[in-house]
Amino acid sequence: MTRASIFLAVSLAFAAACGNSSSAPKDAGGDAAVTDGGGVDASCFTNPQTHYEIINACTTAQKIYKDSHPPLLNPDGTLPPLP
Amino acid sequence: MRSLMIFVAAIAALAIARPAGAVTCPGDPACCSSLPNPIYAQVGDTQTNLMRAFSRALRDNTPEPMTLVFITSPSCTNIDDFYNHTAAITGTMQYAPSIAQSPTWNIFTSPTLTCTPDPGQFPDIGNSAVFISSCTTQAVPTTVFEETGGIQAYVLAVPRASDQIAITFEEAYFVFGFGMAGMIMPWTDTTQFFIRKTTTSTLLTWAANIAVPAAKWMGTQEAGSPQVVQALQQTANPEAAIGILGAEVYDANRDTLKELAFRSKDQYAAYFADSTETSFDRQNVRDGHYTVWSPTVWMVNTDGNGNAVKQDAKNVIDMIANKQVTPAPNFDPLVLTAEVGLTPDCSMRVQRMTPMDGTPLSLYMPPEGSCTCKFLSIVDETTCATCNSSNPCTSGVCRDGYCEEF
Repeated sequence: MTRASIFLAVSLAFAAACGNSSSAPKDAGGDAAVTDGGGVDASCFTNPQTHYEIINACTTAQKIYKDSHPPLLNPDGTLPPLP
Repeated sequence: MRSLMIFVAAIAALAIARPAGAVTCPGDPACCSSLPNPIYAQVGDTQTNLMRAFSRALRDNTPEPMTLVFITSPSCTNIDDFYNHTAAITGTMQYAPSIAQSPTWNIFTSPTLTCTPDPGQFPDIGNSAVFISSCTTQAVPTTVFEETGGIQAYVLAVPRASDQIAITFEEAYFVFGFGMAGMIMPWTDTTQFFIRKTTTSTLLTWAANIAVPAAKWMGTQEAGSPQVVQALQQTANPEAAIGILGAEVYDANRDTLKELAFRSKDQYAAYFADSTETSFDRQNVRDGHYTVWSPTVWMVNTDGNGNAVKQDAKNVIDMIANKQVTPAPNFDPLVLTAEVGLTPDCSMRVQRMTPMDGTPLSLYMPPEGSCTCKFLSIVDETTCATCNSSNPCTSGVCRDGYCEEF
């Protein structure tokens, strides 16, 4: 394997881990909520058309990033039925 | 001296003849029907300040003076009463004094005047601060005309002493749907969840936005928004306390309460209803970053052929919906609507894809043209260019003195 192909493989691995930059949630990490003064999120949508794009459109509004892990959340991230 | 004794005796006799609170209507001066041109409204309690503002303005609306008398009850109750004439108005109604009666009366803080409705009096105006579909699947009767007014935002609020600043869709689902078993710290004590009845717009809108049906909510059902505010202010455990409120109620209590930024399903970040926690611009409601809102729906009675039974009532809801009326009022209805915390349709850039609470958003261009600059000039501040006939806009449309987007 050439050095170039190793670099390409590592790059692809990182890209896969990060997901699509235009759709991946950008959390600040940690348990605490972190406030952002209003800078533009790198993964936001500049020309939103769908609901998903509208709620994640680029904005100068204050943003709060919260890395939340509810204990009862299903492993696949879905919600369990209500009791 | 004798005159004074006669006067005192007369007052005493009146007091004996009519115990306090006993009013026979119609005929008594304390009856709503004794007021000049009364218009009866039954609205959700989130619309209290709107009613106070319009009641005040309409008293002195020289082109067509009215006395807008109002009473609050849950949105679903109002719809049912209006669609089916389930129950006549029975409680004490409120209205604003005219300028002559009270020159310094404040729409937010001054006490209202009260009156008693006649037996069998049904409302001329009904209101729901939630999509009708959240309350009933019944078709709109042919005797009812409906139109949409300003957008009502709802917030999750905590005591200002709380350290919490945000909540996610998933967390809210577990908090209100599971209670203590949801294990979302610090909100695990259901006695500290201050919610509303299942027929109220505040609860129904939140229910639709966090996927917890109204009947499944855990917490203490408070009688009204003031009680939720009071419970949050007086709790001995501010970190565990959380409540649901109309955004305008929260606005009036920002010194003691704190809005939680809300991250809706599939959203990257949490947002306030306004662009920042200290602004009043409803930017995130208007552009779709804050999803917890409903339209206000206004109803009047018709003759079954589309004609309003009481034209003045129709004019009032047209004003609330920012539509032209004849005769034109001597005040600007949009200013009143914005000042009490509603977001006018003409400033919105998103809508619900279907007329149901909690459904996805889509882009929206209000057909009446934009009023965003004007709205911002009322509630916050605007950077829009100003314009007039001799100073036209370089882009957009000159409307009400501002260069609006379209």
